[in-house]
Amino acid sequence: MRASRVLTFARYEARRAVARKKVLALVALTILIGTAPYYLLDVIHTSLVTPPIRPYMWVLGVFLPQAFFVQFTALLIAAGSMSEEYEQGTAEVLLSKPVSREEYFFGKYLGGYSLLVSIVTLDAMLSVTSATFVFGPQMGLGILPLTVLSQMLAASVFYSVAFMFGELMRRSSLSYIVSASVFFTSEVIGVYLNVLFSLTGSGIYRTANLYLPTSSVDSLPLLLAEPKLPSVVLTILRFGATPVEPSVLVSALLILAYTLTAVIVSLAYFGSMDVAKRVT
Amino acid sequence: MGQRLDEVVTFQQAVKDYGPKVIGPITFSVQGGEIVGFLGPNGSGKSTTIRMLLGLIKPTSGVVRLFQKDPLREHVKALAHVGYSPELPNLQSFLSPRELLRLTARELGLDEETNTQLIDILEDVGLVQYADYKIAKLSKGMVQRLSVAQAMVGTPKILILDEPMIGIDPAGVVQFRSMFRDFVKDGGTIIMSSHILSEVEALCTSLAVIHSGRMVFRGGVEGFIQQSLSSRSLVVEVGLPGATESLVRRISSMPGVTRVTPNTTGMLVEMKKEVDSRAEIAKAVVESGSPLLGLHYSGSELDEAYINAIRLTTQ
Repeated sequence: MRASRVLTFARYEARRAVARKKVLALVALTILIGTAPYYLLDVIHTSLVTPPIRPYMWVLGVFLPQAFFVQFTALLIAAGSMSEEYEQGTAEVLLSKPVSREEYFFGKYLGGYSLLVSIVTLDAMLSVTSATFVFGPQMGLGILPLTVLSQMLAASVFYSVAFMFGELMRRSSLSYIVSASVFFTSEVIGVYLNVLFSLTGSGIYRTANLYLPTSSVDSLPLLLAEPKLPSVVLTILRFGATPVEPSVLVSALLILAYTLTAVIVSLAYFGSMDVAKRVT
Repeated sequence: MGQRLDEVVTFQQAVKDYGPKVIGPITFSVQGGEIVGFLGPNGSGKSTTIRMLLGLIKPTSGVVRLFQKDPLREHVKALAHVGYSPELPNLQSFLSPRELLRLTARELGLDEETNTQLIDILEDVGLVQYADYKIAKLSKGMVQRLSVAQAMVGTPKILILDEPMIGIDPAGVVQFRSMFRDFVKDGGTIIMSSHILSEVEALCTSLAVIHSGRMVFRGGVEGFIQQSLSSRSLVVEVGLPGATESLVRRISSMPGVTRVTPNTTGMLVEMKKEVDSRAEIAKAVVESGSPLLGLHYSGSELDEAYINAIRLTTQ
């Protein structure tokens, strides 16, 4: 596998994703999410933002989109990455060149993922900038790089799942629906298991919850940030999500396991199947 | 496998089993320097054959080789000098022609210094003035030209062209024809699938005819016509005073001539396929005192031969 070809496909994929209007819409939404809430809070409910919270307002914009917006973005970018090439009939021209399927596969995977990473980074930067601008100097920013990195890693789970369904189904809308269903089902089951655990105290519900893909995805950034944030900020954050996983290591391992499984399955399928003519 | 060294393409008992439909077994080869017209009705297996050759689909059984290499297992080596233009050129509409050719060059491992070469290619296919337009804004014919252009990037030794002339205006057809001839003159090989038989007749040096997943003919154009037609029609064009009764009688009496039909430009002579009386007919016209303006087989012979061949295979 040659790195230059992987890079060629990665650049191509990023360019292709940007050319799609829905990805542009996501970038616009990222800008909105990273800025608008701060200005709204400032204008409408300034009294809600008490002095101890003001220096940590950046946390809101960085952490709250993690549970839905970042995962939704991952699904949207990845579900069409492979499948749209089949639907548009462009896969056969790209693969009729002297490039290996692995170069094509990893190039496209990394290209879309780099776009996702850019969106996560953009959201973090906008949140910190807006919080500073509206609520004054921000504190605890030392944990920001690790938080953003953990969000990037966590986002790889549903990015890879959607990428896998895109290859398996070769229909963008179907792969998006299926991968989104997996995501929402996992979230909903997680909520039910939490409620059942609270009501019954039975460990089986807690254990089952640990293995849901959304649990590790939601937990990792929070687990990393929790020790470094004041309790008043953590209280606010827990409105959004509570870490389910017992440790950073377990959470990271589960994320890697889900990501690698999806990548291996899709690569094996792609490597063994015919390159479809235009899928209609 | 006993392949000849100049054998560019080899199919040996290659089969693609789709379940309800089976393509093959296909056995044929293409030598370097040929322009092969790949003919067959819709759904006969042309695209499957081409896609097996490009390593896009895996044969269920049999052997497929491109430059003596397996296009699936040795994809990078086998495809190193191959240019492919698909039947429906579904190109990336968000790119410009220049960007598409640059992408293709990068896929081929060529660097930025090929920029001049890319512009030359766009010039060759008549798209240089549209180099920076979005492909989405190009007409169907322009996209077809671009599809051929991307196949020409790098140093292809073989062009695999699926219906390359569709949507191309007459000037473009002439331009492409000359470009393809130059390509072969420079040592290249072309496999061209087409339904425009006049184009195939004008350009191709040999034919591969496939029907219902089976190769029904492989050989020269002339051989195919000979094999598929029971008789041949010769157009004889004469100047004033035209085809006289005595000339018609003389030609009618020649061995193998089955019918002579005088018309406004001369006559149409039908002959048994195994007979070639062109020299005798030319001599007869000249001796009759009429100037001989033209003597050629009917332009629609390949069409007739093709239709006959397909009909016979279907029966």
